[in-house]
Amino acid sequence: MTMIFKTLFRQLYGRWDAMRAWCILLALLSLATLLSTLLSAYVSFTSQAMLFVLVVAIAAYQLDRLQSIVGAVVSVLLLNFFFVPPTWTFHVEQSEHLIALGTMLVVALVINQLTTRLKQETALAHLNEQRARQLQELAIRLASTDTTAAIRALGQAAFERAFHGRSFLVLADDGTRLDTRRDLSTQQIDGLRCCMKEMQLLGAGSLRWGDLEDWYVPLGRAGQNRGAVLIQKVAAKDEDGREHAKALCSLLTQAFERLQLNLNWQSAQNEAQKQQLQSTFLSAISHDLRTPLAVMVGAASALQSQRDKLAPDQQDRLLNNIIAEANYLTNVTENTLQLVRLTHAENSLRRDWESIEEIVGAVLARIKQANTESRIQASLAQDLPLLRLDPILIAQLLSNLIDNALKYSDGMVELEVRVLHKTPLALLQVEVQDRGPGIPEAEHDSIFVAYSRLAQHDQSNQRSAGLGLAVCHAIAKAHGGDLVVHNRAQGGSCFLLTLPIPNAPAFAAEISETSELSEQAATIP
Amino acid sequence: MTIRVLIVEDDKEIRKLIHASLRVEGFEVDTATSISEASAMLLHALPDLLLLDLGLPDGDGEQLVRLLRTQHNLPILIISARHQELQKIRLLDAGADDFLVKPFSVPELLARMRVALRHRGTRLAAAITSYTHLDLQVDLAKHTVTLRGQLLHLTPTEFNLLARLVRSAGNLVTHRQLLKDVWGPEYIEHTHYLRLYMAQLRAKIEDHPAEPRYLLTETGVGYRLAMAEEV
Repeated sequence: MTMIFKTLFRQLYGRWDAMRAWCILLALLSLATLLSTLLSAYVSFTSQAMLFVLVVAIAAYQLDRLQSIVGAVVSVLLLNFFFVPPTWTFHVEQSEHLIALGTMLVVALVINQLTTRLKQETALAHLNEQRARQLQELAIRLASTDTTAAIRALGQAAFERAFHGRSFLVLADDGTRLDTRRDLSTQQIDGLRCCMKEMQLLGAGSLRWGDLEDWYVPLGRAGQNRGAVLIQKVAAKDEDGREHAKALCSLLTQAFERLQLNLNWQSAQNEAQKQQLQSTFLSAISHDLRTPLAVMVGAASALQSQRDKLAPDQQDRLLNNIIAEANYLTNVTENTLQLVRLTHAENSLRRDWESIEEIVGAVLARIKQANTESRIQASLAQDLPLLRLDPILIAQLLSNLIDNALKYSDGMVELEVRVLHKTPLALLQVEVQDRGPGIPEAEHDSIFVAYSRLAQHDQSNQRSAGLGLAVCHAIAKAHGGDLVVHNRAQGGSCFLLTLPIPNAPAFAAEISETSELSEQAATIP
Repeated sequence: MTIRVLIVEDDKEIRKLIHASLRVEGFEVDTATSISEASAMLLHALPDLLLLDLGLPDGDGEQLVRLLRTQHNLPILIISARHQELQKIRLLDAGADDFLVKPFSVPELLARMRVALRHRGTRLAAAITSYTHLDLQVDLAKHTVTLRGQLLHLTPTEFNLLARLVRSAGNLVTHRQLLKDVWGPEYIEHTHYLRLYMAQLRAKIEDHPAEPRYLLTETGVGYRLAMAEEV
């Protein structure tokens, strides 16, 4: 229904437009005739002719070609009829007037021709400018897209804007689905197929299928066809339009290629990373696993073959070696598995509402079980908020940090837990500080990278695969937090763990009033 | 009387090691390598203690625990690899007594076995209604909690929570069990209630809440009320 109204309106409007133009022409001619009549007593015929030339020039510039030609002819006739003696006839007596009228007609037509061309060129220049701007905008917007779908949407919109008929952008990947498209005719589907196959522009005005009303523009380059665009209802001789369509397609092709390159680059990067990981694993196995294995096999075989010759304390030492190395191997295995899980499995965290105070307590209890000397000084802020954590992992992180601090220093190890109020969200900070030798500035980042210690010369006599801190870092990151290290002013290092504090959970206070115990136990102050 | 232990473990070396270590300590030891074999042996004769590995060739140790708990009361000790916390919790909820994480040392295994056997003995005797450890005394019958002779004021929920732990003193009680028994089944997922009340309880009972002497945390699993001879 609305369609009908629209066409009707457009036709009426078009007709009204033409009517208006004719009226303007009529008015201009009448005005010139009237003015010439009024002035005829005072001015010569030449001036009157000039008035009509003015009318012709205005008509040529403002009105359509047909109206301005009619205007030119009528002007000459009017001039002849009203002002060339003998007046009120079309007869011309003097040759002078004849020449004037003839010249005027020629001049009028020339002006008409010139202004028409000027108008066309102006319009063309305007269109070209618009198209150039569109290309530029599209190029900018394509540069920031990173999915095929986004490029496709941008391309579709660009064609819709550039050409008034409907456009269809079809990608080569959709090839199989072309048949099922109801909005395209069989001929159009064939056209798109053929265009993709031959990578050539087909359709109106081109060398192939030139009598069609549509264009089929290929996307991609020879040997790498990416799709095609169908532009409906185009003019066969619209060379510039065709060039514009090609330019748009070539921009889209570039965008697709950039995307492809990015993907390739990323997968190459991933592959390289995987290989890097594998080679570090291998070197770790060759060094970090072989050494303890060698110690174990050596000690065990000595016990097996020479037990009678060994003094009891020597035997004990060998046994202790075996246990210590086995524990070390366990540690390395656990850390490696942990690291692989944390970095490769998404959502491997089992989070729950946890109290950091409890976790710290459990960690300290475990550590104090192992070394009875009390070198840990813990200070926790009051009323610490609950956090959503994987308690096992956070406990492991804290254990690692404290174990390290105890291992690398002889003095007190300080553990501090506090809340840092920062907008927009508060953070929980856990600091583990020691008075050991500290960590060289250059290694502040690399100590958190797995196996990085291998490459460096470890000056302390502590053997370590450098896995512990990598695991700690991975755990902190998996919780949306961070782990960094800095050296303390008076010597020693300080590891700082930061964890985000979530909004507190909903909580109803004291809900078990119904319990039969409550009556007697309710001695709340 | 010798104590009979059944080891269900599919790894030959670990089985042999445990077998040898327990024999030396005077236990009478049987071994099984799968759930089906263990089930057959359990039908034949019931041991005094079951050592159960989780990953078995013909299924999960969990099935066996559920099956056994419907009929018998023998102590069950779980042997698990690390990172099976969820399963461990399920098993404890299903009725297992304790767990050991591989790799473990023989002394640790023996200690856990002693505790499990002792608990079984006390449970068979009478329900625990009072608790005394270091400076803390709890009397469930009188509803009193005293610390160094001073009567403590606990809110009803705090008292219920402590009472639940006292009834299983020395034993590990999982978060789910505590939430279910103290707050009700619909609160099983509301771990934060447990955390907050545990913090309150510790603030009242412990001298240093971050280093508890009574209310011990088993990270990620549950709580345990310390007992004098605790390992």
